[in-house]
Amino acid sequence: MDPIQFHWNGSTVTAEPGDTVASALYRSGVRTFTYSYQHGRPRGLLCLTGSCPNCMVNVDGVPNVRSCSLPARSGLSILSQNQNVYRGLDSPAVKRFPVAPPLSESSHHYEHLYLQFDVVVVGGGASGLEAALESASQGKQVALLEKEPRLEQAVQPHPGITIFLNCSCFGVYEGNLVGAVQIDYGRPNAETLLHLRAGSVVVATGAFETQYLFANNDLPGVMLSTAVLRLIHRHGIVPGQRAVLIGDTERCAGLSSGLEAAGIEVVAGVAVESVVRARGKDHVTGLVTETGTYEADLVVMCGPLVPDVGLAGAQVVSLAGGAAGEGVADSPYVLPSSAQSTDAIACLCMDVSGHDVVETIEAGMGHVELIKRFTKLGKSACQGRMCQTAAIHLCSQVSGQSIAQVGKTVARPPAPPVTLGVLAGMRHHPVRRTPMHYQHDQLGAVWMDMGDWKRPRYYCKETVEGPAVSLQDHCVEQEYRAVRERAGVIDVSTLGKIEVKGDDAGRLLDLVFTHNFSTLPIGRVRYSVLCDELGTIVDDGTISRMDEQRYFLTTTTGNVDFVHQWLEWWAAALGWKLTITNLTAGLASMNVAGPMARGVLQKLTDCDLSTASFPYMDWRQASVAGVPATLMRIGFVGEMGWEIAVAAEYGSYVWEQVLQAGALPFGVEAQRVLRLEKKHIIVGVDTDALSNPYEAGMGWVAKLDKADFIGKVALARLKQNPLERVLVGFELEGTNARPDGSPVLVDGAPVGWATSVRFSWEKEKVIGMAWVTPAQAKGGTRITLRADAVDYSANVVEDIFYDTAGDRLKM
Amino acid sequence: MSFLLRCPNCGERSVYEFRFGGEIRKRPGPEAGYEDFLNYALYKRNVAGVQWEWWFHRGGCGEWFKANRNTLTNEVHETVLPRDEEQRG
Repeated sequence: MDPIQFHWNGSTVTAEPGDTVASALYRSGVRTFTYSYQHGRPRGLLCLTGSCPNCMVNVDGVPNVRSCSLPARSGLSILSQNQNVYRGLDSPAVKRFPVAPPLSESSHHYEHLYLQFDVVVVGGGASGLEAALESASQGKQVALLEKEPRLEQAVQPHPGITIFLNCSCFGVYEGNLVGAVQIDYGRPNAETLLHLRAGSVVVATGAFETQYLFANNDLPGVMLSTAVLRLIHRHGIVPGQRAVLIGDTERCAGLSSGLEAAGIEVVAGVAVESVVRARGKDHVTGLVTETGTYEADLVVMCGPLVPDVGLAGAQVVSLAGGAAGEGVADSPYVLPSSAQSTDAIACLCMDVSGHDVVETIEAGMGHVELIKRFTKLGKSACQGRMCQTAAIHLCSQVSGQSIAQVGKTVARPPAPPVTLGVLAGMRHHPVRRTPMHYQHDQLGAVWMDMGDWKRPRYYCKETVEGPAVSLQDHCVEQEYRAVRERAGVIDVSTLGKIEVKGDDAGRLLDLVFTHNFSTLPIGRVRYSVLCDELGTIVDDGTISRMDEQRYFLTTTTGNVDFVHQWLEWWAAALGWKLTITNLTAGLASMNVAGPMARGVLQKLTDCDLSTASFPYMDWRQASVAGVPATLMRIGFVGEMGWEIAVAAEYGSYVWEQVLQAGALPFGVEAQRVLRLEKKHIIVGVDTDALSNPYEAGMGWVAKLDKADFIGKVALARLKQNPLERVLVGFELEGTNARPDGSPVLVDGAPVGWATSVRFSWEKEKVIGMAWVTPAQAKGGTRITLRADAVDYSANVVEDIFYDTAGDRLKM
Repeated sequence: MSFLLRCPNCGERSVYEFRFGGEIRKRPGPEAGYEDFLNYALYKRNVAGVQWEWWFHRGGCGEWFKANRNTLTNEVHETVLPRDEEQRG
C-alpha cells in the first residue's frame, strides 16, 4: 500500500494508517499547530477530543477544521492558521477568525436528510450504547449518533439501531428535532445535515476535560490528560520524556502510573494552586511552581471534568452517563495568583486572558454572562468548553461570590460549529417550463427567469455584428413590428389561472376584487385589480364568467400562489360554499395579437371571430385546430387579439398550428414595449408595495358604489385625500439610452423614479413611466433622470403613446 | 422554530410545511370607519400566550385551518378546520 502523504505548510508529512492529521503531525515532530488569532501565540495539541480550538487548521482552503477529527488522507494541503499574526504582519485591529472562501459547485457535496426515529441517542459511549440497546429491545427504532469514526465497544448489529458515525449532533430543537452533521471524510467538503425527528432524545455525550488557568497555560506541550492518553493508546505515540502533572492528587496518581508504563518519566504532581507559570518560548521546557522548578517537555493537566450538555439547550431530553454527571467529581479547586496575569489564557478561541476577566469583574461585571458579552469569552469555536469553568472559578475567587452565585452561561445550539455550506445544502433551483418550452428553444429563445419559470425574452437565430444590446434590439424590433403590423403570438402559460366555482363564487369575487362580478354577464371578461385592506394594489388580471356559478381568473406570473391562498383564506374565514382550483400547470395558453390576428386564427377555428359576434372582452368556447379551447378577446399589447387556453398536453400542437397559420412568435421584451406604449401597468414593476389605484392613474377600478369590498374604506379615504405621487408617462429627449429604474430629479432633488424605460418604435423615441409628485404630472413638464452620473432630460406625456382611443383593440 | 403542527386533514407535520396566517381577527363591517380598518389591518394584539391563529398547509392538503397556540412555548393545543368548527356550533 502506498504511504499516506500530505502537505503541511509546504513540507510533506507521512502518516501511519489510522492516523488523524493531528496525530500524524505530532508523530512527525510538529508541536505548533496554529497561532492564536489575537496575539499570534503558538498553540499545540490540547484536548484531542474535538473540544478545544487549538488544533484548528486550514485544509484545502477551508479554515477552522479540527485536525484531531480529520483522518489523514493523501494529497491534503494543510496550513496552520494566523501565521501572519504571529509574524506581526496583521494589525491587531483587523484580526478576525479566518473566513472560508466560497466553494465552487463541484468542490462540495452538501446534502440534507430527513429521518424519523422513536429514540435518538447522542453519543455512542457505554451509556449511550446501553440506552440504545434498552430502547431497541422494547421494539423501538433507535438512531445512535457518534462523532468518532468508530464506537468504543464492538457491538452486534441490531435491526432496531441505526448507527451514524462521524456524526456530530449540534442541537436539539423544538418538537424533538435533532440537528446533526455527518461528515464523509473520504471526499473533501462532503457533509450531510441530518434532520432527525425523535419521539424522545437521550443525550449521552459524556463529560469533557477542561483546562486550568495559570501563566502560559496555552504553551505547546501543556496538554490535557485526554490528549496524552489518546496519543499513547490510540496512536502509539509517546508524547514526551519528562512530564509534570497538575491536578488533584488522586487523578494525578492514576495518570502517573499510566504514563510511566508508556516510558514517560513523571517528575512531579502539583496542585494547580501552586503553579507560577509554564516555562518555554515555542514549547514548554518546564513548570515553575511555588515549591520549585521542574524541567519537563510535557505538562499534563488532569483538568476538571464537566458534563457535556451544551446541545440540550432548553429542550426536554434524558441525560445518561457522564452527561448526567455520573463519575464526574465536582471537586472545587483554587486557582493560583498567576491565573490573573495577561499570559494566563482563559479563552483560547478569542485570546481572553485572566487579566481581562479580572478587569471586567472590577469594572462591575461580576456575572459570567456579563463577562462573556464584554470580553467575547466563550463565544467562539469551542463554545466555552475550555474557558467557562476556569472563568467561573476566577470570578468566584476575585469577587468573593460562590460558584453558584457567579452562575453559568446559557448553552444554545449549535454546540459544535456547523459550516454554513451544509446548512444551505445543495444549491438547486427549481425550474418550471411551459408546454411549449422546447419549441421556443428551437426558435432560438433567449431565456429569462420569472419566478420559477423560464420565459423567452426574445427569439434570435441570426448573428449580427456588434454588441449584444444591438442584437437584442434588432430581434425585438422584428417581433414588435410583427404584432403592430401583422400577427404575433406569445406564450402566456406562466400567467396564473384559477377557477372559482360554487354558490358563493360571485359573492367572493365581489368582496376580493374592486369590480362587481356577480353582475358580470356570462360570456364576458373583465379586467380588475385586487387590493388589500389599505387600498394597495396587490395583483391584477382578468376574470371571465363561464356560467352562473363558475369564473375563470388570470393572475400575474409570480402571484398565483398568493392570490390562490388569499381567495382560499377568505372562503374559509367566511364559511362560503365554493371551490377554488389552481389550473396554472394544467393549461397552456398563448396570445395571438395584431391587425391580422383574426385572419390567422380564423384558419384554425369555426368560431365566428368577427367583432359583431365576438366583441372585445368576450370569451367563447371553441375548437382551435381541432382542440377544445377557451378563447378570450383581450388586449394587453394594444392590438386586436385572442388568448387561447387549451389543456397543457395540447399546448405544443396548438402553438405549432398557430405559427403555421402565420403568427410570428414574440417574447417578453417585445411585449413590454408594446404594453408600455399603451401605458398598461405591470403590478410589481410599475407599482410597489404602497401603490394605490388613484396614484397609478387607475382610479376607475375602484367601484366605491359597491356595498363592500376589501380596501373600499381605505380607497374612499384615498380618493378624498390629495395625491402624494402619480405614475406618469414620459419621453426622453435626444438619446437612445434607457435609464431604467433611475431616480427622477427636479431642480436636483429626487421626486420619484422611473419604473419602465424602453425604446418605442411608434414614437421613435425612448419612452417610459415614472413616479413623480403631482407638481410634475402635467403634460410637457420637464423632468430629469439620472443614471450613472449622467442626466437625461424628459418631458411628461399625459396621453397614451399608442392608439389613445383604443380603436385597434376593437377592430 | 421547529415545532410540529397537527393539520386537521394530514396529521402532525413539521411547521415548515405551513404558512402562518396571523392571529384570527374579525373584519369590520362595511359601515365601520377608516380607523377601524387601519386597526384591523395594521395593529395586531401580539399576544404573549395562547391565541387562535390561521395556518395554511402549503406543503400538504392546501387548506386553511385554525390553531390554538401558545406563542411563548409554541405548544399547540388544538387545530380545527373552519367548516368543522361551524358544525360543532
